[in-house]
Amino acid sequence: MKILLKAFLLIAPINFAYAAEGQKSAGLPQMDIATFPSQLFWLVITFSLLYLFMWKFVIPRLGATIEERRDKISNDINDADNLNTEATDILKKYDEQLASASQESNEIITNSKKAMLDHLEMLKKENEEKVNSLISESQAKIKAQEEKSKIEIRNATLDTVKAIVSRYIENIPSDEEINKKLN
Amino acid sequence: MAADNPIDPIHQFEISKIADIQLGGIDISFTNSSLFMVFALAATMALFVIGLSKKSIIPNRMQMLSELSYNFIANMLRDQVGDQGRAYFPFIFSLFMFIFFCNFIGLIPYTFTVTSHLIVTFAFAGLIFVAVTIIGFVKNGLGYLRIFYPSGIPIFLAPLIVPIEIISYLSKPISLSVRLCANMLAGHSILKIFAGFIVMLGFLGFAPLVFLVVLYALETLIAALQAYIFTILTCIYLNDALHPDH
Repeated sequence: MKILLKAFLLIAPINFAYAAEGQKSAGLPQMDIATFPSQLFWLVITFSLLYLFMWKFVIPRLGATIEERRDKISNDINDADNLNTEATDILKKYDEQLASASQESNEIITNSKKAMLDHLEMLKKENEEKVNSLISESQAKIKAQEEKSKIEIRNATLDTVKAIVSRYIENIPSDEEINKKLN
Repeated sequence: MAADNPIDPIHQFEISKIADIQLGGIDISFTNSSLFMVFALAATMALFVIGLSKKSIIPNRMQMLSELSYNFIANMLRDQVGDQGRAYFPFIFSLFMFIFFCNFIGLIPYTFTVTSHLIVTFAFAGLIFVAVTIIGFVKNGLGYLRIFYPSGIPIFLAPLIVPIEIISYLSKPISLSVRLCANMLAGHSILKIFAGFIVMLGFLGFAPLVFLVVLYALETLIAALQAYIFTILTCIYLNDALHPDH
């Protein structure tokens, strides 16, 4: 660093001396008033062109592009939101339908179970009735047969008694007399 | 001649004529300064023409760059001035891009830094000062004079505060222009001096070379920073003109 400092001290005056020598008006080129009109003139021209370019070309186009992108993004987000809502709705509807369907099927199952049981009960009852009627019918038949048999037996007995009695005695008893004796 | 001395730090600021043009006795020659103004203009135009050639929803790199600069300045203006500042956006944007490119092109060796000349920065600062003053009076009438007497100051301090405020107001264009110009002038001079050391010291030149690299990085930062500072101060002055109560 010391070397640098020495070098600087050595060079600096020489440089500035040269600079001063080379200048028509001593000092910085920044202080040369003769160059001001030219600098200002060209500054006005270039900056005006730049301003016009920015104002008429860059800002409208860039603004439009950025706006367009913002719109597109917000539209896309809106669309996504809408689709999301739609999907949620569909899911909800699906769930509802599923729930109602399962309820319905449960009902159907319960109903058919009940119907089946009812039917079974009815069949049971019907059969019971049938069986009962058959039993009573059979009992009636049996009774009738009994009665009939009784009568037949009695008649047969009467006939037999008449036959036996008629063999031993001439007087044939009447049916009433035999019945009285039998009873 | 200074022009022949390769290590004259001031040589880079000299203005030389490229085409001699006289208009009504006034010298408006096309100089190297004018050339680099045109370069700054061309660089800005190139950036935006290429950046905007293919307007797409998903931007490519150049479009990204142009949109970044647009948003950067738009946000700066919105933050500093608010929605009322929209009308001045083309000017602020142009100002930033012009100073930015002038500063950056000036960093390339053998180029000329337009903004290192006080007359250029003062032209901007003067224009801004006059415009801001006119805007202030147009928007607020005589109420604009309130900026010289901030609210909440006791009346007996007025004789002290008001002249200070007036002086600070009038010195705005000077500080604005000198800040930019001096930064460019000093930075580029130091770069040139250290570049000269490299040549002078021969084998030992690597020491100033290392320093030069670091310094160059710093100057790159300063080039961007000064463009930013110039622009944001313009926004702040504009805000003062539009809202003198704050």
